[in-house]
Amino acid sequence: MKDLLLLGLESSCDDTGAAVVRARTDGSAEILSSVVAGQTALHAPFGGVVPEIAARAHAEKIDLCVEEALVEAGVGLSAFDAVAVTAGPGLIGGVLSGVMCAKGIAAGAGLPLIGVNHLAGHALTPRLTDGLQFPYLMLLVSGGHCQFLIVRNSDEFSRIGGTIDDAPGEAFDKAAKILGLPQPGGPAVEAEARAGDPARFALPRPLLDRPGCDFSFSGLKTALLRARDALVAEKGGLTRADRADLCASFQAAVTDVIAAKSRRALALYMAEAPAAPAFAVAGGVAANATIRDALEKVSAGAGARFVAPPLRLCTDNAAMIAWAGVELFRAGRRDGMDLAARPRWPLDRSRPALIGSGKKGAKA
Amino acid sequence: MLPDAGPGGGGPLVLGFDTSAAHCAAALLSGDRLVAARAETMDKGQAERLMPLLEEMLADAGLGWRDLAALGVGVGPGNFTGVRIAVAAARGLSLSLGIPAIGVNGFDALAEGHGDTVATVIDARRGSVYIRTPRVRAPRLLPRSDAEAEALAHGLKLVEPGPPDLQATAIARIALRLRGTAQPRPAPLYLRDADAAPPADPPPVLLP
Repeated sequence: MKDLLLLGLESSCDDTGAAVVRARTDGSAEILSSVVAGQTALHAPFGGVVPEIAARAHAEKIDLCVEEALVEAGVGLSAFDAVAVTAGPGLIGGVLSGVMCAKGIAAGAGLPLIGVNHLAGHALTPRLTDGLQFPYLMLLVSGGHCQFLIVRNSDEFSRIGGTIDDAPGEAFDKAAKILGLPQPGGPAVEAEARAGDPARFALPRPLLDRPGCDFSFSGLKTALLRARDALVAEKGGLTRADRADLCASFQAAVTDVIAAKSRRALALYMAEAPAAPAFAVAGGVAANATIRDALEKVSAGAGARFVAPPLRLCTDNAAMIAWAGVELFRAGRRDGMDLAARPRWPLDRSRPALIGSGKKGAKA
Repeated sequence: MLPDAGPGGGGPLVLGFDTSAAHCAAALLSGDRLVAARAETMDKGQAERLMPLLEEMLADAGLGWRDLAALGVGVGPGNFTGVRIAVAAARGLSLSLGIPAIGVNGFDALAEGHGDTVATVIDARRGSVYIRTPRVRAPRLLPRSDAEAEALAHGLKLVEPGPPDLQATAIARIALRLRGTAQPRPAPLYLRDADAAPPADPPPVLLP
């Protein structure tokens, strides 16, 4: 083994990212640069990410981000060992821009190309930040994804549960929209919830009454809409206190569900008697302090070390893609110039699809 | 012709490529001389095929990426995804090779070699076309019949995209000519806004 220097590119949703990561032979790694150009303002008027708008932004941003990352890291392309790029799953227009830019860079610089699964990027991040040993339990909670994975090695993931409809981040966004709060909804709802009464509205805890580790969030969103409409019908609008209480009640329901399902997932994981038990969380929803606190308690209760990478590495970024590239490179993975961008790419190919199970196959 | 000679002494090597419609097309110039041109028709799969096609073309000519002096890339109008595939690849290559990538729009590529005698027309679906004439340089969206009538009225020959390898060759020729001048990074020419509508349901009234 030798030290490795990898360039990572990420463009699967609404963040354009490029990063430089140096990995040492002792397993440690250093992020020399991690540039993320967000698109929040572009999508704000539409109440959600618009795929075509995202694709347009990525296509004209990704090479600029790479240049910035190279300058910040102070290294030229000739110093690299490989280029890693998110090849899916995600919004295909953005993924394509990243993949084609990465191919151009790899071809021109004579470097190997490695296509990385975006979810693997998130799932392997705790090894970059905290040096976790396999196997560990991972909860991925973001605007587009929600699943429990037992991470066995850099290319082997067992999915033991996930959402059958919306992702929690998406539910937070919709909740914010229903209540007239700004996007992205997660931070807006969390801030509003601080002044609210989490017990005022009895919102449902979907799927808690059923065994297993799967989630559902779409019914919760509908229940919130009904509670709002009842208040509006009664007095013609919402008071600040009503809105804060709705936010707090919504957040409490999401937290209860995620905590309870995490308890079950931990039980399954701990039954495998891992040598160094650890429970890691990633994704933008992991930034929610109430949810994070609940997960920490559940983890401690199960006797597993709790790991939550810093926020900038929890949300979409390219350092995680470069790092996943390091792990895959060491495992011998190389992709050709015919690397395909994939809108759908489940990490655990052995499990039946939870969503998107039509003829196109599982989404994630 | 610019003075610097490329490998073999034939003048600077310029690679032009385009995936703005149902094809992967490329052309390689050594100065004014056409070294190779290729086109493959495909409804999908341009992202997988483009780079191998370019590498094969270079290799068959005994050349490599490092021999290139400039890139020309078709920026549309055309299929949004297709245009982005070529533009993103060109930007990546430009970055790694340290050579300019020059965006060439479809109208310029069609008009190449025709001077001011043609109206260039690119299909915009649903019976409409984008038209550009020597008098009105900004592309306009018109019903096909109106575009044809306008060209006739001004005595202009109507030129539409033909074989994609010819289009790639025109792109390379324009890039060869422009390569010494300051050019912006290639960017897709969409001519149509992204399909997106603001949310329909209004937020609730906030009471005092």
